[in-house]
Amino acid sequence: MVHVLGIQLPDRELARYALTHIYGVGHKTAHRICARLLIHDTCRVADLSPGQISSLAAFLSSPSTAPAVPRFPLALPRFQPPSPSTPMREIQTKVAHLIKGRNAAPPPSKVHPLPRGGRDPLPSLKIETDLRREVRENIAHQRMIGSYVGKRHAMGLPVRGQNTQSNASTARKLNRIDRFG
Amino acid sequence: MSPLTTLTLAGSRAPYVVLSKSSSFLSTNTSTLPVTLTQRRHYAAPARGKGDVVARQGFKGKGKGQGPDGVPVKREKKLGAFLPLPAASLHHSLFKTDPLNELKLPLYRPEHLTTHSIGTAMQFVMSKNDAALKFGLPKSMLLEFRILSKPCSVVRDVTVKAVDKLDEASQKSSFETRVVFTGSPGCGKSFALLQSVEYCASRDWIVLYVPRGINLVNSTSSYTYDLRTQTYLQPAFSFQTLQRFLSVNQDKLQSLKTITEVPLERRAPIPVGTPLTDLIAAGLREQSVAPTVLSALLEQLGKQEAYPVLLAIDDFQALYCQSRYRDPHYAHIKSYHLSVPRLLLDYASGSKTFARGAVFGALSTCSTDFQLPLELREALAIPHDRSSGPYVKRSSILQWYSRGLQALPVPDQMSVQEAAALFEIWMKDGAFVGLPNDDAFMSKYAESSGNARQFVWKGLLASLAS
Repeated sequence: MVHVLGIQLPDRELARYALTHIYGVGHKTAHRICARLLIHDTCRVADLSPGQISSLAAFLSSPSTAPAVPRFPLALPRFQPPSPSTPMREIQTKVAHLIKGRNAAPPPSKVHPLPRGGRDPLPSLKIETDLRREVRENIAHQRMIGSYVGKRHAMGLPVRGQNTQSNASTARKLNRIDRFG
Repeated sequence: MSPLTTLTLAGSRAPYVVLSKSSSFLSTNTSTLPVTLTQRRHYAAPARGKGDVVARQGFKGKGKGQGPDGVPVKREKKLGAFLPLPAASLHHSLFKTDPLNELKLPLYRPEHLTTHSIGTAMQFVMSKNDAALKFGLPKSMLLEFRILSKPCSVVRDVTVKAVDKLDEASQKSSFETRVVFTGSPGCGKSFALLQSVEYCASRDWIVLYVPRGINLVNSTSSYTYDLRTQTYLQPAFSFQTLQRFLSVNQDKLQSLKTITEVPLERRAPIPVGTPLTDLIAAGLREQSVAPTVLSALLEQLGKQEAYPVLLAIDDFQALYCQSRYRDPHYAHIKSYHLSVPRLLLDYASGSKTFARGAVFGALSTCSTDFQLPLELREALAIPHDRSSGPYVKRSSILQWYSRGLQALPVPDQMSVQEAAALFEIWMKDGAFVGLPNDDAFMSKYAESSGNARQFVWKGLLASLAS
């Protein structure tokens, strides 16, 4: 069993779906996290390397402060790579100018203002306690300003206009001001 | 003793019979019991009583699978409906094959492949280190070979053409023989490629066969970015390819030696004159070095002239499609930015060559995720049913990688002689239900319009005749 931030990820599950056990991570976010860490789609949690697990834990501990991933150069068809015995420092020096210039996100074009696939949700990702706190604060704010939504949370009734003559059992069980407390 | 005792037949994976000791069947004197055999199937599961512990469904993942006291409840393993017993435990004479009706076919050998043998069914010689066994097979072909008692195929006109091309290619550079089998779905492209592979293996060629090219690009193996090559390496796939390549071609590789020094990352270079088996062993010791070793191995094979080399790729069109891999910015990685597809594309485009040998590919229409792209379609002169005028965008890089490819069309329709040979294979194996006469054959041939896959799967195996 792999433990990430105190959450147990089952070994037999695909890593892409096991990450959804984390509160605040759904399927799309999990796929993006896997792409960021270069985890392929059929990788099981048991197959994750220690480096990948530590990168995952480091990223999830503070997604907003995680360093930006540089854009690495990709070879054209006629590219001849240097010999494998070339020192890595020499290779890094040669391609440094290619990496530096691509650190920033590509400028938004007029035709496609959003990057392909939508904005990256990872820098603004909130999980676990941060997310629960945000939800509690939102509900508390609604109550503080005396809104209808706040009142319904306080009464433990449905908030979004559902029927209460029947079928309001989930709202009665869960809705409260200190929800997720 | 528990109320129910399960008897497991020796060697089987699942229980087939249950010894019941319930009071309704037996006397109170349990020491001299004749136990009754009750066959249990999944639909006849016993009704749950009060004593049975039912696992909780849970709410939002909490408490799922736990009993009332919070202890996880073990799920009873479901009995499958038709679990096969292993062959070793089938001792009854009913399960022994009838020696009189065993499928006897001539062996697929190079000397038998002439124009006179067109329309003859032949059995593949599956030796211990056969290419098909070690490298694997496409899924549909694997299923057919599992159903048949022996792996076999029919020699067709296109087989003889391919064999002739391979005979010419054995003395020429692979740049001049880069062939792709084309044709409609189910016409027999993968079979033609397998026949070419088996021919080369029996002719002492060095063979590298990729039966499922889709596995290179569908994000099913590990990948990592390499700054030196500026591509994404696939260490696991390269490692497996080296292993299989070594087991298939070991006897030839032992006699070949490195012609130039082979540098490796973070370790001493492989000196000149090292047997190629030792070069492969260096790649098998550590997976991270496998991509470099695979590339170096093909380079060394390209320089030697002792043995011709065949590079055979099924699902050839997948190499020209966008892969399912994603980079850290969530963009799709192009296939030519992955190490193994790039290596295969280099040999397919002729930018890297073997001194003697050929590159053969076979298109596949099975997967809708990796369809034939426009650039490859135009390079192979395959007509397109959609408009593809000058305003449709084409990738110059894919056009560069698809230059010089020759199409070898597999006929959509089998000839009557070829279809008859195919019919005889399945008839002799006992797969055809009904009277196997000329009427039945011609009706199935007409229904399938001579298409090989339709003829076998929709015609012979799906027959409702009784």
